[in-house]
Amino acid sequence: MIEICNVNKNFGEIQALNDINLKIATGEFVSIVGPSGCGKSTLLRVIAGLISTNGLIKKPKNGAFVFQDSALLPWRTVQQNVELLMELEKITDIKEKSKNSLKSVGLTGFEKKYPHQLSGGMKMRLSLARSLVLEPEYLLLDEPLSAIDEFTRESLQDEIYNLWIKHKFTGILVTHNISEAVYLSNRVILMSKRPGKIFDIVKIPFKYRNDELRENSKFLKIVNEISRKLRSCH
Amino acid sequence: MSLNKYLPPLSILFFFVLIWHVSAKTYDMQFLLPSPLSVFETFLNDFNIIINGGLITFREAFFGYLIAIIIGLITATIMSLSKIIEKSLYPYAILLQTVPIVAVAPLIVLWFGFEEKSVIIISIIISLFPIINNTLFGLKSTPETLLELFKMHKSNKFNCFFKLQFPYAIPNIITGLKISAGLSVIGAIVGEFIIGSGSTGGGLGVQIIYAQANLETSLVIALIFAATSLGFLFFSIISLIGYFLLHHWHESEKGIL
Repeated sequence: MIEICNVNKNFGEIQALNDINLKIATGEFVSIVGPSGCGKSTLLRVIAGLISTNGLIKKPKNGAFVFQDSALLPWRTVQQNVELLMELEKITDIKEKSKNSLKSVGLTGFEKKYPHQLSGGMKMRLSLARSLVLEPEYLLLDEPLSAIDEFTRESLQDEIYNLWIKHKFTGILVTHNISEAVYLSNRVILMSKRPGKIFDIVKIPFKYRNDELRENSKFLKIVNEISRKLRSCH
Repeated sequence: MSLNKYLPPLSILFFFVLIWHVSAKTYDMQFLLPSPLSVFETFLNDFNIIINGGLITFREAFFGYLIAIIIGLITATIMSLSKIIEKSLYPYAILLQTVPIVAVAPLIVLWFGFEEKSVIIISIIISLFPIINNTLFGLKSTPETLLELFKMHKSNKFNCFFKLQFPYAIPNIITGLKISAGLSVIGAIVGEFIIGSGSTGGGLGVQIIYAQANLETSLVIALIFAATSLGFLFFSIISLIGYFLLHHWHESEKGIL
């Protein structure tokens, strides 16, 4: 379980986060959506512990963060990039674990390639593999697919969903793509701007994920409802 | 491929030597403008003077360069780790660059004596700033997300520096080292000019002063070529190191060699 209590954050005069309270159950996947500048990335960094706050954050010990730009080290090969976080966290059996991890995201055979030789989608899969090899209890994703082309994005959404089912981590996704949020989540958190606060939470009822769901009228209705709410909030 | 690559610079060299040769023949004043051929002859005849002087200058410039690299990397690293030290030291690092080294060189010779030590110190001073400046710039330009990634996974400062900041700075460090490669030889020659009269059988700078005094212009030119090749040698070694470190991943070194 992740608990966020009375979190406020100011950057100088600007109130980035205003009294955020949120509980996320173990194994749940939630998405945070809102207009640019509503503080959703800031909130994710506060949860990660990368930005300090006066509020209270309760969370499991082991977590990982997936960044928008993949955040790979360009001088390391694919293999060495997967090993990076295990080196930092001083984990053993690095070779065996990285082999399995690369296999799980379909990057077997690319071990000796460098990041600049990979497509955007492959870089993001590598970034996911690098985090999930740590078996994190929670995973924070900061607009991971925003720089990925439309066709690759849908298959990566399925990939994230399948990894979530397999690894059973608690997921928090920040995105500006509403259908992506609805597709991946148990709940969608809606934030408004200046000051950044949570103004609504939408439960997503679907039990399965596939291409059929993307065209399901009930799915589209929820997407439209969230769009409407976000439009009316500012 | 190699023909396309080497043909343009080689043809420039050819035309340069040709114009030089024709001018030398036209004006026919050996002590002002010796022909390329007579410079080449001098090079063979006075090979001993050139090689001995070259070895001395090489030693001075090499140690000057090496010590400048060590001091430069350490200073830049300390400055990158502490804002307050950076703010206190950086203005004086700039002074290193703005001080006219030719004007300071006599003072250094006065302090440290008419010997190689002084030449090495002058070479260090002139080589230092580009190394500090470029290394510091590289160490400070690590992307925020990568720093966050390391922070997220409880990396200590040691890992953060050696696994992230330092490798990230290597392209900039190489740039600084390339600039300083030629400067270290310039520093050595300037130093030798000052101590010139005080020593016998000195380096290229000393030999240039002697040859000029004797109006041996072709020897002066041959010595200038030797000094230029020294700087070029340092530059090439650094370029090669840069290539091996960077060609896998950095744009600047892709497709070179």
